[in-house]
Amino acid sequence: MGDIGTQPTPERALHIRPAGMDALLKPVHRWVWADAHRRAHKLLRFAETEADGGRDLTRAAELTRDALLRRLYLRHASDELRHADMFRKRGRTMLASLSRRGAGVEANWLAPGERGLDDLNVDHENDDTLLAFLHLSERAAAMRFAVYREVLAGDPDTRAVFETILRDEAFHMNYTRKQLERVSPRKHGVRLWMARLHRVGKLYLRFAAAFAGVMGALILGLQYFVVLPFFALAAKHAERRARVPSGWTSVASRSFSFRSQY
Amino acid sequence: MKILGISAHYHDSAAALLVDGMPVAAVQEERISRRKNDAAFPVGAIEYCLNQAGLEPEELDAVVFYEKPMLKFERILTMALREWPRTFSSFPHAMKSTLGEKLWVKGLIKSWLGVPSDKILFSEHHRSHAAAAMLTAPTRDAAILTADGVGEWAALTVGRGKRAGAKVEVDLLREIRFPHSLGMLYSTFTAFLGFPVNEGEYKVMGLASYGSPRFADRVREIVERTEDGGFRLDMRYFEYHTNAKRSFSNRLIDVFGPPRAPWEPLDPTSTEGRRFADVASSVQHVLEEILVEMCTRLRKELDVPDLCLGGGVALNGVCNARILRESGFERVFVPPAPGDAGCALGAALLADRVFFGNPDRDFPDHPYWGPALDPQELFRVAREDGLPAEELPNDDVVLDRVVRELQAGKIVGWMDGRTEFGPRALGNRSILSAPHTAEQRDRLNKSIKFREEFRPFAPAVPTEHASTYFELPPGGHRLGRFMSGVFPVRPEHRDRLAAVTHVDGTARLQTVDRDVSPRFHALLEAYGRKSGLPVLLNTSFNLAGEPIVNRAVEGYSTFRRCAIDMLVAGRCVVTKRADRTAEIDSGAPEEEAGLNAKEEAAE
Repeated sequence: MGDIGTQPTPERALHIRPAGMDALLKPVHRWVWADAHRRAHKLLRFAETEADGGRDLTRAAELTRDALLRRLYLRHASDELRHADMFRKRGRTMLASLSRRGAGVEANWLAPGERGLDDLNVDHENDDTLLAFLHLSERAAAMRFAVYREVLAGDPDTRAVFETILRDEAFHMNYTRKQLERVSPRKHGVRLWMARLHRVGKLYLRFAAAFAGVMGALILGLQYFVVLPFFALAAKHAERRARVPSGWTSVASRSFSFRSQY
Repeated sequence: MKILGISAHYHDSAAALLVDGMPVAAVQEERISRRKNDAAFPVGAIEYCLNQAGLEPEELDAVVFYEKPMLKFERILTMALREWPRTFSSFPHAMKSTLGEKLWVKGLIKSWLGVPSDKILFSEHHRSHAAAAMLTAPTRDAAILTADGVGEWAALTVGRGKRAGAKVEVDLLREIRFPHSLGMLYSTFTAFLGFPVNEGEYKVMGLASYGSPRFADRVREIVERTEDGGFRLDMRYFEYHTNAKRSFSNRLIDVFGPPRAPWEPLDPTSTEGRRFADVASSVQHVLEEILVEMCTRLRKELDVPDLCLGGGVALNGVCNARILRESGFERVFVPPAPGDAGCALGAALLADRVFFGNPDRDFPDHPYWGPALDPQELFRVAREDGLPAEELPNDDVVLDRVVRELQAGKIVGWMDGRTEFGPRALGNRSILSAPHTAEQRDRLNKSIKFREEFRPFAPAVPTEHASTYFELPPGGHRLGRFMSGVFPVRPEHRDRLAAVTHVDGTARLQTVDRDVSPRFHALLEAYGRKSGLPVLLNTSFNLAGEPIVNRAVEGYSTFRRCAIDMLVAGRCVVTKRADRTAEIDSGAPEEEAGLNAKEEAAE
């Protein structure tokens, strides 16, 4: 029987280095993580992200026809749920010792959680494309968490959470790579490049959607204050004149048509 | 005639299919997509329904959407204008959300299904609720009350349904309009208590039993009764009509104290926890008071013995039981899916019986309209993973084995037949356990359901034994059929039913009919013969944050991730090995799995 239940050694996790960009942004990360309230709220958000990731992996386990992958995905899912629990407990412990106030700016774009800015639709992935995605995603997460570990020197308890999780991330990175090589022995390199391109494409779409969202909100906001006031006055006037009832309104005589959307 | 009903876009979207007036399939999208409370257009659910009947979309005679999207948009826009400029933060959100997809339902249906415009029909939200409640119930003439957050404009309606010979009528008489809404009132307090809206209302009901209604007078000040027997909310306490992010105002905080943050632990025995429990109890108390009074008036007005309840508020089993006891109605019917998902079925039934004028049919009185189970799927994956999996020779052996495990304190994942339509697991996708000890309840909460300790579990009991263990008023058996009523456990049995008896001595029981669920009924009887108590704890087969399992492999993945001891699908039985770590890792050589791979991050 294999020994895959053994956790990777702490040394392995310590080898994980931040990515170049994250290393450059270390002062920003230090600022993001410096505030205790923000830190606690970020940990709670990370808990949600990990739990979502766990559900995705459970779905992957349910869909794959590969028995070994199913076992590994289930174990990976359990790891993610355990990470969620660790983040949640740490976040709650911190909040319990802090005064009551919100997180302020959480800066999730600058310091995202495990799946970061990636989107995953497990139902539309094959084993090889999913493994390639997971490998890159886990790798990126491990490097990001390595930065967080470094900037959290002043909070040893939170740092310890990241240390523990990093050990699992090392395992996740390795098994996804190894399994990709197994299920796609000739094309695993291509799959990884495709996954990288796909991530870039999705990143672009997310930025574009976010930009469009901001622009949409601005335009609608502008309309709200420029165009709507006249209609608002009319609506308020009509409401007063009609004496919109509270309590019951009779509808027995109202016509009803299946053809109409009104 | 083939009619497809669809509900979508707000929460728990669903599809339902009628062929010649009879249901063929109905399922929530979340069971297919595996995203809890999936509100997306229910492509997966539609596909399942059509496959179940062997139909292509072009063979459909009509597709009925459960509400009128333009009328809903009118309400959203009107509220934005009436409350201007307080709606400045919610307006962009509401417009983007509505104009993105929700408004263009006809185009959406045409593009997904390719059906022509003249085959697409639109019901009304509360009329769909009313039809789902009335046309699925075994009654010919009944009063109807529907209540939820909001539909198009209506948040609560009363009406009357008649099935006289071939002619069917589902008429709404009057309504209470948004923003005055009992559903929104309850949801606002759900948010105030730190629970997710549209998800945590059950928690409020469970928490209410720990408190006393000492704030009831203050809630009554917020929900003012009108002379005509209706009510109006004092909107100074609410923000849900002006704000997309917060549903209550600072004035509500001034009255009830600081709200609970979602991450804060909730211990009903602490001072702060007690305050939250008292708030929950107070809002629950006032909700019951109003609905009981409305139903009492309705009983006198229409002079019919039956009442059909629909809408999300009808999921409140404590309130339903009080209506049955106090309003004067002899029978109260709540469908298995009273929420928006059930509107898919209601809209299809309404179109069939009323729009097309097809003859009335008795609706099969059970909730099992979802995808069927394939036990071989479980057998295959369990064997591949090296778990002890057996296909037992017959049902008697299966039941005997399951009963032995339950008696030994084991927890069993039980899958059988077709998935239930609606939010309750009613014996086809259930986690079962012996109901005797509080320790068993705590184990389920902590190791399997991963949820708050104050939440109760439900018992299932054969209908013919229900009155022996529970204090059921006349009509209580029927309300228990789809777990729609909460009733007292008889005091002499509370000690032996500790796992399913809530802190106030009640239980939300399921009464199981032999005709409806023969196998589940046989299991309860078999357990009764061995233990002397034909009652089992029955909770939905899912983990926190996940929808109820549908396929066998989904039950299997749940079984692998929590402390369920035995999994049963049809006659296939799977257990866990004693060494659980070895079991999870079985068959995956270290080299093959990738543990010895070069540390890539160090590259």
